[in-house]
Amino acid sequence: MTAEATPSLVGKTDGPAGAGPSARGARARGTSGYPRYVAGKLGGAAVSLLAVLVTSFFLFRLIPGDPVKFMTGGRQVSAEQLAAYRREFGLDLPLWEQFTDYCGKALTGDLGTSYQFRAPVIDKITEALPNTLLLTGTSFVLYTALGIFLGTRAAWRSGGLGDRLNTGLALTLYSIPSFWLGLLLIIVFSVGIGPIPGLFPTGGMESGGEEGFAYVLDVAHHLVLPVVTLVAVEYGQTLLVTRSALLDEMGGDYLTTARAKGLRDDLVRRRHAVPNALLPTMTLIFINLGRTVAGVILVETVFSWPGLGGLFYQALSVPDLPLVQGLFFVFAAAVIVMNTLADLIYPLLDPRVGR
Amino acid sequence: MTTTDPDEPMTTPEAVSKAQVAKAGPRALARQRRRRSAARFWHRYGTHRAGLFGLAALGLFALIALTAPLTVGSGVQSVTDAPGRPMESPSAEFPLGTDQFGRSLLGLVVWGSRVSLLVGLLAAVLSVAIGALIGITAGHFRGWYATVMMRITDWFLVMPTLVLAIALATVMSRSLGTIILAIGVTTWPTTARLVRAQTLAVESRPYIERAKALGGGHWHVMSRHVLPNVMPLVLAQTTLIISSAILAEATLAFLGLGDPTVVSWGGLLQDAREAGAVSAGKWWYLVPPGIAIAVVALAFTLCGRAVESVLNPRLGVAR
Amino acid sequence: MDTHDQFGGRGTALRLLAAAGAAALTLTVGLVTPLNPAPQQAEAKDGKKVLTVAVAQSVDSLSPFLAQRLVSTSLHRLTYEYLTNYSAKDNSAIAGLATKWEPSADKLTWTYTIRDNSKWSDGEQATAEDAAWTFNKMMTDEGAATANGSFVANFKKVTAPSPTELVIELKKPQATMAALDVPIVPKHVWEKVGDFSKFNNDKDFPVVGNGPFILTGYKADSYVRLEPNKSFWRGTPKFDELVFKYYKDGDAAVAALQKGEVSFVSGLTPAQSAALRGEENVTVNDAPGRRFYALATNPGAQAKDGKKFGDGHESLLDQRVRKALFMAVDRKTVIDKVFQGHAAEGEGYIPPRFSTYYWKPTGSQKIAYDPDRAARLLDEAGYRKNGDGKRVGKNGRPITYRVLCHATDPQDKAVGQYLEEWWGELGIGVTLDCRDNVSDPWLAGEYDLAFDGWSVNPDPDFVLSIHTCAALPATPKDIGATDNFICDKKYDDLYEQQLAEYDPAKRAELIKRMESRLYDTGYMNVMAYPNAVEAYRTDHIASITTMPEAAGNIYGQDGYWSWWSATPAAGESSDDSSQTGVIIGIVAGVVVLAGLGVFLARRHHATVEDRE
Repeated sequence: MTAEATPSLVGKTDGPAGAGPSARGARARGTSGYPRYVAGKLGGAAVSLLAVLVTSFFLFRLIPGDPVKFMTGGRQVSAEQLAAYRREFGLDLPLWEQFTDYCGKALTGDLGTSYQFRAPVIDKITEALPNTLLLTGTSFVLYTALGIFLGTRAAWRSGGLGDRLNTGLALTLYSIPSFWLGLLLIIVFSVGIGPIPGLFPTGGMESGGEEGFAYVLDVAHHLVLPVVTLVAVEYGQTLLVTRSALLDEMGGDYLTTARAKGLRDDLVRRRHAVPNALLPTMTLIFINLGRTVAGVILVETVFSWPGLGGLFYQALSVPDLPLVQGLFFVFAAAVIVMNTLADLIYPLLDPRVGR
Repeated sequence: MTTTDPDEPMTTPEAVSKAQVAKAGPRALARQRRRRSAARFWHRYGTHRAGLFGLAALGLFALIALTAPLTVGSGVQSVTDAPGRPMESPSAEFPLGTDQFGRSLLGLVVWGSRVSLLVGLLAAVLSVAIGALIGITAGHFRGWYATVMMRITDWFLVMPTLVLAIALATVMSRSLGTIILAIGVTTWPTTARLVRAQTLAVESRPYIERAKALGGGHWHVMSRHVLPNVMPLVLAQTTLIISSAILAEATLAFLGLGDPTVVSWGGLLQDAREAGAVSAGKWWYLVPPGIAIAVVALAFTLCGRAVESVLNPRLGVAR
Repeated sequence: MDTHDQFGGRGTALRLLAAAGAAALTLTVGLVTPLNPAPQQAEAKDGKKVLTVAVAQSVDSLSPFLAQRLVSTSLHRLTYEYLTNYSAKDNSAIAGLATKWEPSADKLTWTYTIRDNSKWSDGEQATAEDAAWTFNKMMTDEGAATANGSFVANFKKVTAPSPTELVIELKKPQATMAALDVPIVPKHVWEKVGDFSKFNNDKDFPVVGNGPFILTGYKADSYVRLEPNKSFWRGTPKFDELVFKYYKDGDAAVAALQKGEVSFVSGLTPAQSAALRGEENVTVNDAPGRRFYALATNPGAQAKDGKKFGDGHESLLDQRVRKALFMAVDRKTVIDKVFQGHAAEGEGYIPPRFSTYYWKPTGSQKIAYDPDRAARLLDEAGYRKNGDGKRVGKNGRPITYRVLCHATDPQDKAVGQYLEEWWGELGIGVTLDCRDNVSDPWLAGEYDLAFDGWSVNPDPDFVLSIHTCAALPATPKDIGATDNFICDKKYDDLYEQQLAEYDPAKRAELIKRMESRLYDTGYMNVMAYPNAVEAYRTDHIASITTMPEAAGNIYGQDGYWSWWSATPAAGESSDDSSQTGVIIGIVAGVVVLAGLGVFLARRHHATVEDRE
């Protein structure tokens, strides 16, 4: 099969259509084996990361707004002090010099100093990253599990009432703006409507002041609504891809053979069709994880979640260039790393890709 | 398993025998063939209930948007002539209540459909146009050009779309054009890859060889042979992308990156949030624009899936 | 264990998925846990009276030398003493770290008496030496002058002859010496700091201070925690803990108040305050605010060296045009519709809340709403309508003004839409240019009109100084302190006089004359004084002091009165909601885990069955 056949069904712009590693994975089998393939993939990823680094530098220089002017906004600041600011942040240097400076430092893990927080960008990011990972990680596990589970069921009874309801619901939830769903969930389950009491916190990640196990529970409690929102809007895609991959798979002769051997339907499905269908799905799953990290911006905004998304939005309005660049790099790197992982793992899983 | 050619059910050039070509001239024959396949397409599409539902919903919304100047009139946007008090609850006079200026929300949702649909449509067209252009040329020319183009495509593909769109919208001034551009420029790579693959498939067919041998230039091959063959795919892709473009418009407007003087669904949601409608329990300010967005996005998705499934029945989209 | 099925590695995908999921969970939990060192105090929460305040603004820095945002400067007000404070009654300067201050006869030397009963929270005595060190640091280290450098710009020399005496020598007389809003820091702690431009004061807790509260914990965009200073000389605050909790979304904050998660919310929209008014146990405080909200015109940007720059519309240089434009702004509608009554109609420059300096136009001076007269005025000025009903400029082209607006401010966007229609009636086009960050076109003079607003301090010197010629940038390349490039000789003369006038009544008179002059020029047209609209839970807070006491705000006061004075409501146990919350959290967690468990168990079951 080719990458072009299935993933286009994913539709949405974010779909990994064509980017699927399956085609590239298949190509690898003919050449000099897995190690070379890995090296190629890793090299490609490194080039991509470098390209992202370059883009993030130049793209955000286009943002109108002199950061120094913002920093001094409304305060009486002498011209000398302005010059000092520019010196401090290296803004007085020619662009190419700023760029080489930036790249040199970035290679050593130094992403510069945030203009508005006057703290190393890397510190601000590591501060917020765990929060974002907690939210996306939890949602990811749940929506992937739910998507695969429901997608399998839908495919097995393709065309039936269950399938139609299942697919219909997934498509509907998929069409809902996540921020809007989040706001509605806040009204209904957080503020409370009529007989429904306000069950969950309205925002944030912790009440503050808890510790130990109580702290974990507190965070879990705050996690429920944002996770439900993310799962609701995201699981549809996994469901649809699993379903179509499985439908493709079920046309295979070996299934008929397996059934002819007298294996129960249920067993045929679980033992043979599902694992094979999961291969193309795996690709999507990894790519999705990368994308969810970036896509979480909206949910974080609505639920006041102290993560990367909120930080990015705040940084853009200054513009806090070093922070914006750093965050952009992290978002893009998440996608690249996940794509590469998918590429690397795929040939290991696909039994048809002989090694 | 084997490659499933997405447009096989529609255009089967091999089925057209040489004898026929000789008899009826290639142009007329191609037209005839296309008309036949269009009819076949509609017949197949008609069997997809979800697709029909989506089409009906789209028709309804298109009708609402096109007749808005007659039904509600542009006066509905005026703040100085606002007929009601701020944030009135639904009543006989204002079936969906009023907004923060006292304007009728029903009128605004109807009027907002114009902007939301227009932005969705134009952004999708822009996105697909870029994608198709790059896809066809990269598929046709091969060589270093294709390599460079595909590397750029790959690179755009790994960019987080929303983050990039937000960045672009921030870089440019706040206007509808900005939003359209931000969505169009960030969403094209998917199309480019699909179209390129299709182009490669088409160009490997023998009759393209013949066309080239008969002296057909690049432009001739791309416009006369490749384009008609990738068109169905492009259409399906457009339908699917409109749906996400409408969502993206709402998202950017919600983040405050839209034009504040233009009424759109996303803009209404942003207004509602800024006015504090959520905690004040003014659900009628929040719910209708959200439902409108969801219904239209769903309708486009259903249509797109139906089209896809007609082109490639093996996908087995639920009917 | 279950690898021996007939299809070889096919089961791998599933297991790998499960493993990846488990790994993801472990990873996330693992990453989060060590980075939350839980600086929380180890004491039991029971019976502790906690005052939780919802905030949205991120802390820019906890260093008093760097902090510029309201949330951070408010925190410094709570944790450090300033030389003086402002009375909650009438905004007049009262004792802070200094008990007395007086100028010399030549007006150039001020002597402050420092109190002897203020201790740093680490036990050391706070002395004049700390104050002298703080000011000297700001005068000598550019990094330390970032936030409050303007306060020491006119200082010649600062010394501490004794622990209770601080002497400040000035270059020129300065009437604002009882309004030095500079947090005094402990020398013995801060002299160890290396680079003041990078030190954010957010690593070691508790932070050594001498204000009514002590900063004991901070997590960016999550919370700021403070505890009462038991040895505070004015008396210990009554709550056991003060927490500023982050809600980036206004609606989330209001919902949190409704549920009792927080005790106080500020910055309410009209709809929110209306909804909260009906709520049990919630009091809405709708008080005259500190801000004015104005429409500034571009008077033709210029630098001190006389160079003109920017591209403001030439018609705005005509005073009649400026007057006509403001005449067509229906301020009553702005108050009624945009602010829905939560504001007072704008007149003079300084809000009525500062009664000492409040001035308003009377009689013929007042530019009242009168669109017909506005149209006649424009005709007189030579800007007549063309055949399409559009007024044309001297260059023959229809006039369209660019109005700079803050994209984050709903009021700008709303008033902008009204302006479009009001001025459209006059035949003048409007383009709303809304941006997150307006400072670029603003400072470059590349706009025609702009929404403008400042919070006024008890001493109005700052908001007056930004309209003087001295505030203009030195050259077009520099950035001045000027607000919108106003440079008016008459105004400047009055400004110089008031700054050297040490008699409060006479100074107030001069300031009113400045306001009158500013009004007449038509460069700053104040449309409204927005109210401070806030709400607090009466079952958490029994009483709280507003500033001014009679009718004033709670959040963002010039003093620390609100949080210092707040008394807990009797029998309130702020843990109720979080207890039920925790229980529900547990239930939700268990349900989710059980769901996952069932899912995985089914998988496992399947493999076992298969092997049989």
